[in-house]
Amino acid sequence: MASTRRLALAAAIAMLNGTACSSLGVEPWERDVLARDEMQLVTDPVQASIDDHIYFSKEASSGGRGFGGGGCGCN
Amino acid sequence: MAATDNKRKRRAGAPQVPGNIVQGLAAATCSLLGTAASMPVAAEEEPQWDFDTALLYYGESDERVQDLSFNVLARRMFPDDKILSLGLGVDSLTGASPSGAIPQNEVQTFTRPSGDEVYPVAPGELPLDDTFLDTRYALTAGWQQPIGRLYTGSAGISFSTEYDYTHAGVNFGISRDFNKRNTTVSLGAAIARDQLDPVGGAPLPLAVMGDLGDLSNRGEDTEEKDVVDLLFGVTQVINERFLVQVNYSLSDSSGYLNDPYKILSVVDPTTGNAIARTPGPGMGPLHEYRFENRPDQRRKHSVFLQGKYFMDGKVLDMSWRYMTDDWGIDSHTLDATFRWPLGERSWLEPHLRLYTQTEADFYRASLPAGELPAYASADYRLAAFDAFTAGIKYGRRTSSDNELAIRLEYYRQDGDIPGDQLFGDHSSDVLYPGLDAIIVNLSYGFDL
Amino acid sequence: MIVTRAQRRVARGFLAASLLLVSLLPAVAAADDSAALLDISKYRGKVVVVDFWASWCGPCRRSLPWLDGMQRKYADDGLVIIGVNEDNTSEAAEAFLQNVPVDFEIVLDLAGDIAREYELIAMPSTYVFGRDGKLASRHLGFKTAKQDEYEALLRGLLDTGTAASERE
Repeated sequence: MASTRRLALAAAIAMLNGTACSSLGVEPWERDVLARDEMQLVTDPVQASIDDHIYFSKEASSGGRGFGGGGCGCN
Repeated sequence: MAATDNKRKRRAGAPQVPGNIVQGLAAATCSLLGTAASMPVAAEEEPQWDFDTALLYYGESDERVQDLSFNVLARRMFPDDKILSLGLGVDSLTGASPSGAIPQNEVQTFTRPSGDEVYPVAPGELPLDDTFLDTRYALTAGWQQPIGRLYTGSAGISFSTEYDYTHAGVNFGISRDFNKRNTTVSLGAAIARDQLDPVGGAPLPLAVMGDLGDLSNRGEDTEEKDVVDLLFGVTQVINERFLVQVNYSLSDSSGYLNDPYKILSVVDPTTGNAIARTPGPGMGPLHEYRFENRPDQRRKHSVFLQGKYFMDGKVLDMSWRYMTDDWGIDSHTLDATFRWPLGERSWLEPHLRLYTQTEADFYRASLPAGELPAYASADYRLAAFDAFTAGIKYGRRTSSDNELAIRLEYYRQDGDIPGDQLFGDHSSDVLYPGLDAIIVNLSYGFDL
Repeated sequence: MIVTRAQRRVARGFLAASLLLVSLLPAVAAADDSAALLDISKYRGKVVVVDFWASWCGPCRRSLPWLDGMQRKYADDGLVIIGVNEDNTSEAAEAFLQNVPVDFEIVLDLAGDIAREYELIAMPSTYVFGRDGKLASRHLGFKTAKQDEYEALLRGLLDTGTAASERE
């Protein structure tokens, strides 16, 4: 039973690095749209900071946004 | 579509780099500026510095808060995708904010936080405290670079100061790409230490507002607040025109979490009227008010989901954030922007944001006389309310390839006091102060 | 968890298939495969650099001037550089090349077929073939810091087989 679990885990790891997840996503040469400025997760960092500050001062919630991902995917 | 790509010399083909975590997490720590998620690269000779500047006016109706601020973000890329970011912000705040006391049918008098002055409020008027004339300076610095081929790391510091408050923080981030960079997993952490030196000293919890010159119920020391933020995020490319991000964040605040200037009206539980008091030999409040007290810990969990969808030159950006904390507050934020290109150089971007929150467990519109809970606050920002923002932004690339934009927004808050917090003659009052504000934001981006 | 022998066999088979897929290195068409979309067999005897780039890719744009420099420097020694452009339209590629003119051969790969054949996993990607037509090296990305290393590799490949080509 333990060996089956180990197999399943190994298969899962192989999948993560391999082909199973590649049904979602694009090829590296197909990222022209994703490379555009307006397709970045944060298009205007100064505006995002300003808004964060306004809403933090007037509401009880703040933050949540992250970083990383999308874009040209180069280098 | 392709022709537009090449005209955007200044900003096209930005290398993919994660943003400084200050931007993602730091709202809780009051830092004003964060660094970019992407860095512009010119086709020919690369510019040395990229600047983003913004001028902001925020103004609430009815002589409440007005804020004028100037922000600049400077970024410089060094060979092989290393980025230095420097941010500066200056905020000038004027006007008044609801103090937490409720309107009464008679004149009310309040002592200023300094203890040096009293101010009256006419019958039926919402008591506002205008101890907010101040200028705030904020500074951020960050460094970001690839680590190996698939990792990107970042580190930064943030600092801000105003007359009664200073903030200092550090942040770190790391992200790793998978699946030919279709998937990115990010981890971030930010730690901050804030110090408060309230005017007149921090009031003792739920202390009664004293007379002119009476600071006996104030603390002597500087108060401190520590905040730790953690973030875990996954970004996934769905297809050529669709990008999605999911984040989970945890925020832990501890220390002095009160607003030292906020008070509660003490009222008669039957009539709902403020309890009268006789001021001391000099002048002082004519009714009883108590300073608020909040717990000294707060843990917030947030889940954030964002999608960006490209449709034939137009971009739809939608996000939803859910926040829940151990103060009993739950909130939902829905945000949508739609970028609509106008010709090759300009665009229009309408924006809609919807927000709703429940009240904190210890939120009280007023304190019935005889009740003295451990924690109580009448700060409207901890009450249950709905808010929306509607705005439009116009952007344009100038002939020298710099970017100009103007944004106009309207922000409105509407709340309801729960029935069990309204007493006697005041149960039909609209006690929630509400908020009506306009935002005007001019921005200009250029290279040097 | 009860697992039948059949289930175990299926699981093992699945694992083996996954690991096999993961471990496969990109199979690049050799230079003498004349059915390949990009025919570099005509350059047999020379060192061929196939570089995949696009106008929307920042590091790619930094690499083109460097590649142009390499082409000029080593053309007489038998270096051939082919830039395979992955833009979606020829206008995008042409507009870019007007701003950053290069002397080496540019091939348009509008549909991405050549990239697919080369099993590209990153942009930019540079494939270097030796004089014998076999793949000598593949670089993912373009780093300014590694320029000298790249050049040393090219020089190394150009030096081999010079004696052979002289004999011919």
